[in-house]
Amino acid sequence: MSGATTAAYLARRAAQQERVRILYRRSLKDTLNWAVHRHLFYQDASDLRKKFEANKHVEDLDTIDKMIAAGEAMYDKWRHPDPYIVPWAPGGSKFTRNPVPPSGIEIVYDYGKEVND
Amino acid sequence: MAAVRGALIKHLRVNATPLPLLLLRNPKTIPNGLFNLTFNAIRRFSDEVMGSFLDKSEVTDRVLSVVKNFQKVDPSKVTPNAHLQKDLGLDSLDTVEVVMALEEEFGFEIPDNEADKISTINHAVEFIASHPQAK
Repeated sequence: MSGATTAAYLARRAAQQERVRILYRRSLKDTLNWAVHRHLFYQDASDLRKKFEANKHVEDLDTIDKMIAAGEAMYDKWRHPDPYIVPWAPGGSKFTRNPVPPSGIEIVYDYGKEVND
Repeated sequence: MAAVRGALIKHLRVNATPLPLLLLRNPKTIPNGLFNLTFNAIRRFSDEVMGSFLDKSEVTDRVLSVVKNFQKVDPSKVTPNAHLQKDLGLDSLDTVEVVMALEEEFGFEIPDNEADKISTINHAVEFIASHPQAK
């Protein structure tokens, strides 16, 4: 095919690579959510990595798109219902729990001490 | 009538002096020794929530140790200026794994679009050091 290295092709490949990276990241976190024990996680993570590596050398853009869509569908199917989110991140339990108060407010603990004491 | 009242109230207003605040701020200046406190009597609301920044050398050390423990990385090549893909020969999927390991090390959450852009160790160190909730 003549459009082997045009800018549009490269742009599409870059977008696909980014989608693959985000998909791999999310599926790795999901694997950690499902497999809480670390030795199980290592096993599952290397299996996931092998799946990604097996499709590494595909060149055709449409096939890659289909594979990414299939991967995202599988990720949606396997999403954990109660994922571990860092508490202060969006979706966590401490998110906006104690927002920063307006500046200039202070509590003065003088315990009833009068100025003239 | 209201203007007269307003002027009268303003005339009778007592100025709040900042002196008691200062006295409470450093207990050593209180003459009678009642307040031998070692803590600051003025408490700000959200210091714990806002967290504290880690300093860069400590962050660099921890990041380097995490990257060195990676199986696919040659430990002798890991320097603070190393580019993850060019110098250390890591794949893009390996970069994702390294970023996840850093997230776990520092108890952190990096949003997806930021995590893609981390490509050198220095970048990661700056990102972590500038985030107040990194432990």
